[in-house]
Amino acid sequence: MAINIDTVYKQFGALKVVNGVSVDIKDGEFFVMLGPSGCGKTTTLRMVAGLELPTAGRISIDGADMTYAEPRHRDIAMAFQDYGLYPNMTVFKNIEFPLKIRKLDVRERARKVEDTAEKLGLGELLQRKPSQLSGGQRQRVSLARALVRNPKVFLMDEPLSNLDAKLRAVMRTEIKKLVTNLGITTIYVTHDQIEAMAMADRIAVMSRGNMVQVASPLEIYDRPKTRFVAEFIGSPPMNLFPAQLKAGGTVTCILPNFAHSLCDDERAFAAQIVDGNGGLLLGIRPEHLIVAKAGAQGATDALVELVEPLGQTTNIYVSVGDVRFVIVTDRTTVKAGDTIGVVAPSELLRVVANDDAVVRH
Amino acid sequence: MSNSRILKSGAGALAAYGLAIAAALFFAFPIFWMVTSSFKSEVDISAYPPVWSFSPTLANYAQLFTELNAWQALLNSALIVGLATCIAMAAGTMAAYALARFDVKGKEFLAFEILSIRMLPPIVSVIPMFIIARQLGIFDTPWLLIAAYALSGLPFVVWVMRVFIQDIPQSIEEAAMIDGCSRFETFWRVTLPLLLPGLAATMVIVFMFAWNEFLLASMLTSQEAKTLPVIAANAIKPKAIAWGLASAAGVMMSLPVVVLVLLMQRYLVRGLTLGAVKG
Repeated sequence: MAINIDTVYKQFGALKVVNGVSVDIKDGEFFVMLGPSGCGKTTTLRMVAGLELPTAGRISIDGADMTYAEPRHRDIAMAFQDYGLYPNMTVFKNIEFPLKIRKLDVRERARKVEDTAEKLGLGELLQRKPSQLSGGQRQRVSLARALVRNPKVFLMDEPLSNLDAKLRAVMRTEIKKLVTNLGITTIYVTHDQIEAMAMADRIAVMSRGNMVQVASPLEIYDRPKTRFVAEFIGSPPMNLFPAQLKAGGTVTCILPNFAHSLCDDERAFAAQIVDGNGGLLLGIRPEHLIVAKAGAQGATDALVELVEPLGQTTNIYVSVGDVRFVIVTDRTTVKAGDTIGVVAPSELLRVVANDDAVVRH
Repeated sequence: MSNSRILKSGAGALAAYGLAIAAALFFAFPIFWMVTSSFKSEVDISAYPPVWSFSPTLANYAQLFTELNAWQALLNSALIVGLATCIAMAAGTMAAYALARFDVKGKEFLAFEILSIRMLPPIVSVIPMFIIARQLGIFDTPWLLIAAYALSGLPFVVWVMRVFIQDIPQSIEEAAMIDGCSRFETFWRVTLPLLLPGLAATMVIVFMFAWNEFLLASMLTSQEAKTLPVIAANAIKPKAIAWGLASAAGVMMSLPVVVLVLLMQRYLVRGLTLGAVKG
């Protein structure tokens, strides 16, 4: 079911947590809200759930206005960061609970619970209490409880952040497969960029109560609109250099060989930024920089300060005067103290706004 | 977990058990003495040095039921304290829930105000209560004491239950609401079962306070609504204390409390909420 969030605000006392968020989430979409803690992503999710009421704005699910509806009337399911299992009930009873509240027939309930439990590999654990389960199993029970009643919308609030790294990767793929197969519209909140990149159909990067950019994972990665998005996504993050817009539509920065001529789309965007408050940056992903011989044609000579061999890739930290940036390459023989040439392909350089406030997606 | 480590080493275990037994004896002895005294004759009680073996008699109990009309007092106590405890628990727990979970304006002030009833020494309120009761025509009826005990138990219930409710992770209730419960269903089906240990512990304490309360009971009753502590005090005669009678009254007063605690024991064991959330 499609979800429409229309200029929603949320204030707790004097604290503004969500500042006019608007977004349309399509039927069956896996939508991820990504941002650091305190950016308003969880509050936005809780307003969709009905656990918080917006200060202003409108939320509709499947076309119906649900802004102030009680959670139970929204036909949504939710998985919590701390699982929210009923500690005094067995796994079976936990999964059965939403069906029991809906007064389903006992046999029908048992059948559905067993089906769902089977799907999530909980078949053996039905008679256990939550306290007898591992973290991963508990999260699976909470997913089962959410999925057992075929909800219209599935909301997930950092469901994996209490699990260890290995289990997180496993559960990530499991969740993605499960909800994709079921075709449920999903809103997923996380502060983990890898989770967001791996799972999302679309990502909304949030900062200070605003959705700074809403786009597909690769679009976000390739064309971040603001410094915040550019630095939040990717590790190591995008290299950013203060830049100027020259007449004729060329953007140059402090490094003369790093220059980019704007295409039409970018021209409008760049104009918007300059009009905004003049904070124009030129950015390039570390893996898009090419290492060449020192003094080569079109290359900028840089001093190697540090080399981090990571196995698959190598991070080379370099400086040109007092400008520092990082290059990601394959394995290399370059050592600290060497001078290398760095080439920045013009078509891979990006125009980025220095300030979130300049751009609204 | 440091407790179990101490218990594992031999000397530590011995010391721990020794201390536990000493403490248990220290608290159990007066009860033992009260129970045995209630079966002693006047002579055996006043014997010095104290006698350990004696021929038991039920004379004290007979006197308790005939002379002091203990049945009536027991019924009064059960009715008054039982009802007052139920009222205080029901109203107090709901108030505590509101204070713990809802965004009530001036919530801290309200909570403090509720507590302020307890700051008043009971003796201060006796005279006004006596006058009010006379005016309303409820003096020497159970209703007066029920109201008094329910009121004095209420702040305690509110404050203690509020903490127990706050201890239950909010996400459990939110999960229930998303699973289809209304706020009331959430409270009834999810929160209340998790509160049972807290409710049991609080109830036992509220019950005991009211059960043993003497001052209000003696001032606000004369004949009809007398409770057990009041008639037990009658064992203190003008010239001497009837120790056998006092002991018998003491035993009779303690029994219901003992039974109540035994009944509640299953809930008094904590740990029911473990494993609900992470960790």
